[in-house]
Amino acid sequence: MSALAIGALLLVILCVLLAGGLWVAMALAAVGWIAMQLFVNAPAGPNLSGALWGSTASWTLAALPLFVWMGEILYRTKLSEQMFTGLAPWLGRVPGRLFHVNVLSCGLFGSVSGSSAATCATVAKIGLPELKRRGYDEGIALGTLAGAGTLGILIPPSIIMVVYAVAAEVSIIQIFIAGLLPSLIVMALFSGYIAVWALLNPGRMPPPEPPTSWREKFTAARELVPCLLLVVGVIGAIIAGYATATEAAAFGVAGSFLLAWIGGSLSWAAFRDSLMGATRLSCMIMFILAGAAFLTVAMGFTGIPRALAEWVAWLNPSPYALIAILCVVYILLGTALDGVSMIVLTTTIVLPMIQQAGFDLIWFGIFIVLLVEIAEVTPPVGFNLFVLQTMSGKDSMEVARAAIPFFAMLVIAIILITIFPGIVTWLPQVVMGNR
Amino acid sequence: MTVLETPPQLARDAHRTTVIRSCLDGLYWGSGILAAVSICAVCLLMLAQVAAREVGMQVPGADDLTAWFCAASAFLALAHTFKQGELIRVGLAIEQLGARGRRLAELIALGIGATFCGVMTWWLGVMVFQSWSFGDQAQGVLVIPLWIPQMPTLIGAAILTIAVLDELLLVAVFGREPSYVTAERDRLARGDFSEGI
Repeated sequence: MSALAIGALLLVILCVLLAGGLWVAMALAAVGWIAMQLFVNAPAGPNLSGALWGSTASWTLAALPLFVWMGEILYRTKLSEQMFTGLAPWLGRVPGRLFHVNVLSCGLFGSVSGSSAATCATVAKIGLPELKRRGYDEGIALGTLAGAGTLGILIPPSIIMVVYAVAAEVSIIQIFIAGLLPSLIVMALFSGYIAVWALLNPGRMPPPEPPTSWREKFTAARELVPCLLLVVGVIGAIIAGYATATEAAAFGVAGSFLLAWIGGSLSWAAFRDSLMGATRLSCMIMFILAGAAFLTVAMGFTGIPRALAEWVAWLNPSPYALIAILCVVYILLGTALDGVSMIVLTTTIVLPMIQQAGFDLIWFGIFIVLLVEIAEVTPPVGFNLFVLQTMSGKDSMEVARAAIPFFAMLVIAIILITIFPGIVTWLPQVVMGNR
Repeated sequence: MTVLETPPQLARDAHRTTVIRSCLDGLYWGSGILAAVSICAVCLLMLAQVAAREVGMQVPGADDLTAWFCAASAFLALAHTFKQGELIRVGLAIEQLGARGRRLAELIALGIGATFCGVMTWWLGVMVFQSWSFGDQAQGVLVIPLWIPQMPTLIGAAILTIAVLDELLLVAVFGREPSYVTAERDRLARGDFSEGI
């Protein structure tokens, strides 16, 4: 059997195991086991234990539980109220008015949280009822929250980026910095769409709020100070090169506790629930990474990724064609798989092909993160849709429809970074260049 | 409903079952808490490292310890995470099945899962045994026998195997709905989305 035929067979087995409800981490490792037993002349057992231990006993990976914990703490604070009060008075005159609060709050919360679901749920907790009370269109409100919630994984810190960096063996700090400009562009696209929609549909906007004085604006903005300090403390420490990603994550945990304590929401129950929640979520992710690490080893023995890379080299597609095909494949994958699984399947199988085609791995990481964002708002399993469906009591298809324009904006963002890759690669070069 | 007097034999069995049940649940929670403590340890080590650097000192072996605690947290939390329904899987296909088909699918998944966990535990056991019998030392600042930091990985995998077998038994023999399914449903009904990314 040729390597590609073996690859196709293993892919079918993987799909059957996944569809049958086997836990993702076990399915990945089981396919690796089958591949080694049937097609490779090397012992599977020692490679399994070696990969499981080697991939989890990792100093870099230790950033993951800490960033997860930080998000879990902030999810339980009053940050969402503070952001709404702090931002709302500033946006009364912009076309689209308070819809922009959703986008900016998600951007701000995304800068302290690494999860799209947490960002979406935290901002929606206040944004959804407040906007409804003031008579804003609920469909657009849901769409902004679904779309902008995904900023949680594009703006550093980001759990998905840590997973990619660990699995693809690139620098966490570099990919964090690479995410900054694209996230500004995505926010501009979202806000731009809202402004254009509001100008085209003036009849569907509520009457304007009474104007606020500068004094009121600045008083309200003081609510944002704790959150901004945390952003500066964590991302600033990483960019300035003062702390490693893992150290910055530990700062983040300490800072989040401080913030919760000042805000009066720190209790034993909050501490316990945040820690146990973080333990479970990071355990789930690390187990998938461990299973994928073994699958990568097994794939290396079978020679499938190399054969795939050679095949792509032989086809010699234009880079744009390759990216277009991968986009379609990932959008389809995203309808059934979660973000972490999408990332680890990428790094085990697709990465050699990508390197062969001459793409930068940091650039490719941001590309994949944008596709995971799209998956979060794609039915039937997009998690943000699910969060908003539960929080608003609306039908899931209604939420999915509301998210379509924001889905389109994310696709535009992918097109932009493909045509102008400098959007991704320029900033890390400037910041990391002299280190 | 009239309460019938339970025959002594059955009562003893029921009591024994409850004791086993609470022991197992305690085991899963206990190892989950140890995993949480490992994460706290990683956090404190990193903060200590930054503080020490400020005053021109070092925390010896902090990087090695961090890596070991990281592995310990990943594996020790497995059984607890599994029972709480937070180990991710693709539910799309099996959720379409009727009650009987769903039960069969769960049994197959649990069967394959238990087999895999058994294999994983066995080979992690072999790894730890070899580290111990060859007297392998950690390659870093902290020179200690390698089997010590590797041990939590083995223990966590073993407890996960017990948890999967436990669940298999509950579904196959007692006809229960799997706890990971009910736990996930309860959590989402509470509006707790912390399991998502």
